[in-house]
Amino acid sequence: MLRKALLVLFAALAFGWPLVIENRYVTHIGVLIDISATVSLSLNMMLRIGQLSAAQAAFMGLGAYTSTLLVMRLGLPFLIAFPAAGLLVAAIAAVMGPIFLRVKGVYFVLLTFALGEGIGLVFQEWVSLFGGNNGIHGIPKASLFGMTMLTPRSYYYFALALAGVTYLVAVGVFRSARGAVLDSLNENEELSQSLGVNALSYRVCVFAISGFFAGLAGSVYAHYTGFLSPEAFAFSTMVDMLAINVIGGISSPLGPLLGAILLVPLPELLRDVKQYQMLTYGLLLMAAVLFLPSGIAGGLRSLRQWQRSP
Amino acid sequence: MLALTLQIVLNGLTTGLVYVLMALGFTLIFGIMRVVNFAHGELYMVGAFAVTVLSGKLSWPYVPAAVCSVILVGVLGSLLERFLFRRVIGNEFNCMILALAVSICLQSLGLIIFGPDEIGAPRPVTGVFHFGSGVIPADRVFVGVMAILLLVAFYFFLNKTHFGLMMRAVAQDPEVAALHGIRPKRVHTAAFAIGSLLAGAAGALMAPIYTVFPYMGELPMMKAFIVVVLGGLGSLSGAVVGGLLLGIVESGFATMLGSTAAALVAFAVVVATITIRPEGLMGRRS
Repeated sequence: MLRKALLVLFAALAFGWPLVIENRYVTHIGVLIDISATVSLSLNMMLRIGQLSAAQAAFMGLGAYTSTLLVMRLGLPFLIAFPAAGLLVAAIAAVMGPIFLRVKGVYFVLLTFALGEGIGLVFQEWVSLFGGNNGIHGIPKASLFGMTMLTPRSYYYFALALAGVTYLVAVGVFRSARGAVLDSLNENEELSQSLGVNALSYRVCVFAISGFFAGLAGSVYAHYTGFLSPEAFAFSTMVDMLAINVIGGISSPLGPLLGAILLVPLPELLRDVKQYQMLTYGLLLMAAVLFLPSGIAGGLRSLRQWQRSP
Repeated sequence: MLALTLQIVLNGLTTGLVYVLMALGFTLIFGIMRVVNFAHGELYMVGAFAVTVLSGKLSWPYVPAAVCSVILVGVLGSLLERFLFRRVIGNEFNCMILALAVSICLQSLGLIIFGPDEIGAPRPVTGVFHFGSGVIPADRVFVGVMAILLLVAFYFFLNKTHFGLMMRAVAQDPEVAALHGIRPKRVHTAAFAIGSLLAGAAGALMAPIYTVFPYMGELPMMKAFIVVVLGGLGSLSGAVVGGLLLGIVESGFATMLGSTAAALVAFAVVVATITIRPEGLMGRRS
């Protein structure tokens, strides 16, 4: 009950504040939080099945470039390019999944790491299509049903809706009967396989859903910033998304939400001194692993359990 | 044609030897502690900066500067194990995150202290060797020779000394090793120190050849990772074979098709290796 009330309050705050605080810059940070929360949630789905996918930033990049190229080269409307970006990444994940998800733990991390680096290299080197290190400039703003989204506030609400849907899917996937199966795969795969569960197909399914949302987030990012470069989807972005998950807590979708709200504004506060911003991220990540291994969400949960027990 | 082939092989061998140094430390740390050390490239960077400061700013001769830098990185590694990794050992996921955090911290400290600009270290060796129509820079030969010396020393340490035997025992089975009176924790510290030391040595050797800057560790880290996957995670002989193989194949591809194609091929090989034979070329199936 408390949890539901908190979530409603959370949603009301997320929805209401841009109406009260009319500041473009603060809204801009709001959009970044929404997009990071979406990608972090997509990573969280993979973490929940016990697989750390290091390709998530590259997936976001694939979505961003797909949407951009469909709009700029083929003149398709955003309304088509946006879902297409998600679907393409989902399709790639679905094709790669059966090969990749056979391996576990460190090997899966290394495999997706190699995939991510390979994708990044293609963005950098295929200059005629992806613009190389100079990137792509002048990406048209997104338009929905004849209305062009120009203000940060419109993007804020669009991205907020996307983050909200991702959150609901992440909760739904794991709360359903299938979710119980997925959790059991993380706990004891042999046992669940002995009950006739096809572990691989469940994993591939989650990988595809996770890729889908990362791709959608990339599309919003591309049309919002109007500029793409391979660097935005490099391994360091992947590390940021992982930090959001670890510091927020990986055991529930609430973790990455909390993590994104806390961590995304941080670099903006330390904007002029990039090196200190990196150092803060590194130290926070270190502190989280050493002292709060289940993250803020996990910490809150144990606090509540501690209060309940007399 | 023969001269070209020889040139490709020699270029490949000299870079390959540095890959071997990086990969050996990486695979040693993984084999003994199950830590995927994402901070390995940053240890290389620290070694390179240390030698640049000592031999450049303080104008020490190169050899003592390099020896001190290598020792410094080894000490840094033992401190990292003692105060950070020891607390999360046994949890592969947390070890990986901690290594990432260490990598970010070291990189940003590099940026804070030295700034983002690429600097150079004084060259201890100059000139070239000619063979037929081929040419090989003397500093490359120097790096190759030093790397071989280090590898031989490492081989003797691991196979001919009592401490090396203890290390191999812990890598095989920490519990049984502990039953025989070996203290796995002490071996962990030593393994992390030696792994770091090898990365620091690679950095100190390459500093005079390449430029030195805070992000310089990313590429060698990537190579070490490719080599280690190719040779099998935790397999020392695999790291040596994989490193030399990658060096030569890359040198060939870079000459024929360009370095991007070489890198893409390397990634494809990694994906193929993990999916078809995850234990690598030389690793044992666990």
